[in-house]
Amino acid sequence: MAYVATRGGERAIEQSQRLFKAEMGEITPERVAEIRAAMPYLIDRVMGEASLYDEDLAALALAQTGGELYEAVLLLRAWRTTQPRIAVAEPVTQEGLFTHRRISATFKDIPGGQVLGPTMDYAHRILATEVLDGEVHRPDPVEPAARPSPARQPSVAEWQAENGLLTAAVPDTTVGNDIPDVTREPLLFPAKRAHTLQSLARAETGGVLALGYAAQRGYGQAHPTVNELRLAEAEIVVTHPRGTQFSAGRVKVSQAEVVDKKGDGLRLGFAATLGWNEVKVIAAATLDLNAEGAPKGAPTEEEFFLYHTEGVESSGFCIHFKLPHYVTFQSSLDAMRDAKAQKAATEKSPEPAE
Amino acid sequence: MTLQTLTKPWEPMSYGFLDGSAKREIRRKMIKAIAVPGCQMPYASREVPMARGWGTGGLQVSLTLVNPAMRVKVIDQGADDSVNAASIRRFIARVAGTPTTMDTLEADLIQSRHRIPEEVLREDQVLVLQVPNPEPLRPVQPNMSIARQMHADADYGRMWLQLYEQIVRSGRVMQGASYPSLVHGRHVMTPSPIPRWDVPKLHMAKHLTILSAGREKRIFAVPPYTRVEPLVFSDVPYKVEDHADLTCHRSGTRGFFMNEIPQDDGTLVFEVSDSAWGVKAIRRRDGEEVALGETWYKNGKMPS
Repeated sequence: MAYVATRGGERAIEQSQRLFKAEMGEITPERVAEIRAAMPYLIDRVMGEASLYDEDLAALALAQTGGELYEAVLLLRAWRTTQPRIAVAEPVTQEGLFTHRRISATFKDIPGGQVLGPTMDYAHRILATEVLDGEVHRPDPVEPAARPSPARQPSVAEWQAENGLLTAAVPDTTVGNDIPDVTREPLLFPAKRAHTLQSLARAETGGVLALGYAAQRGYGQAHPTVNELRLAEAEIVVTHPRGTQFSAGRVKVSQAEVVDKKGDGLRLGFAATLGWNEVKVIAAATLDLNAEGAPKGAPTEEEFFLYHTEGVESSGFCIHFKLPHYVTFQSSLDAMRDAKAQKAATEKSPEPAE
Repeated sequence: MTLQTLTKPWEPMSYGFLDGSAKREIRRKMIKAIAVPGCQMPYASREVPMARGWGTGGLQVSLTLVNPAMRVKVIDQGADDSVNAASIRRFIARVAGTPTTMDTLEADLIQSRHRIPEEVLREDQVLVLQVPNPEPLRPVQPNMSIARQMHADADYGRMWLQLYEQIVRSGRVMQGASYPSLVHGRHVMTPSPIPRWDVPKLHMAKHLTILSAGREKRIFAVPPYTRVEPLVFSDVPYKVEDHADLTCHRSGTRGFFMNEIPQDDGTLVFEVSDSAWGVKAIRRRDGEEVALGETWYKNGKMPS
């Protein structure tokens, strides 16, 4: 009887992948285009978590993984990290954003106005089952307003700062490759401000929501009020080697500012991400708002929430428990059995009384 | 000078998957890790085309170290044919064009999860251990930044206390794998979840060991000829798994770390955990000429 070192493992891997792919059928350019067109918010979520703005690649990742979000994000991140960095864009300012939606809960009206923009916030959530019976849902055409709202809007926080309600954040003048980049250097604590905001921007939506919600429900010190929520498009302005600045295109971004009273002023929590992800930025801004002074080990402490909302890391570690652990288990068994045997031995032969 | 002379032809992927800047960072961090044995060095840890927790830290180190002339061996829980080991081996071979092997003696680089091979490693070999949790202090201090401070202060009191409490409660140290060990008399490290059986192999070893945690973004190292001492009280000796007298039911080899395999009839049989060693033992038994290397353990005992 020979003990043949089979390469059975490799065959099994191959066939299990075939099984998975068989379920999804052909992946065609048409399928990718349809995913991109039909699911903009899913695309946005994936682009945000991948920190890679490319709708086609995001749609491809979704098609390739059958919509397994963690896998889709990992595919994009693994692709992203190998790409060369050609240029660093100019900073995006709030005032410069091409704003589609911008609302504030702190005032009935704000300079620049409340702009509802595209939202289903006030829709009645009724499943359109008639579609399954063959009826086609055609969206009613949008009727343009008589007076369009301005494309660019001032910042609410700036108005508050001018009126002495909050202390304006000190502008960070770091530019270009000097900006700390969490994808190219380790995250250490206390975290650099750029690392915190970058980590929140690419955090896993569900994780941010869970911890943000915990803070909102009462496990945080601060109660958020949405100072300003924006869905917008940002111009990506880069500098050509010749020195001319030009726009390389626009990306969808979302940002939230939340405030809470602190002494006689307001304190501010902020988050922004690629794509339109309202829930994520409100939850993330809540965490940011609560981070200052949070006790070690609290869910609102920066180290706690930044580590535990990293979707690629947390999902990967969770599924790694499927890997064989029989060596470590064997090692524990050995210690357990030995302790048990020792205990049994001492119980059988009690020490003679002296 | 034209643009063409300044650039390389387009390729879909860098050699060894990682781009130059990622490799450079890992090389620098490895050098730092070797310079301060057992001390955890934070690194960026890029995403690789495998899930976190599946050997991405070890993989990044392997991809940085390999060249097409290096022979690579990958093991998981001691086995070369385990699915994840097969997957990692195939990936390295695919992106770096390296030859692969299952024989420990033939390997230049060994990436391993949770085991050190039974044959003694040489000075020209590198062992890369995959690390799920790089922080030995995690059970007593889950906060990474506080733990980092504790290492800086060599503040290992709580570590000792934990071991003491185990002895008081259970009559012995209950740590299974990942036995905390003092490296070069200064930093306590986790040797990764290798069994206690394997920890003495790191002490004054001829080979370089790099330990890398991809998800947790930490690299640390045991340079050749470095002291690695398990944390033990002077009156309670270190105890490896009680495997010295077990015999592999397939190869007949004896005195090595075993996997216990429950049988349908309620009994147990044992199989040697180092699968390549088991294969060679069978070949030798069947009359083939096979080179068996010197083993760390002799007759089930680690010579001190």
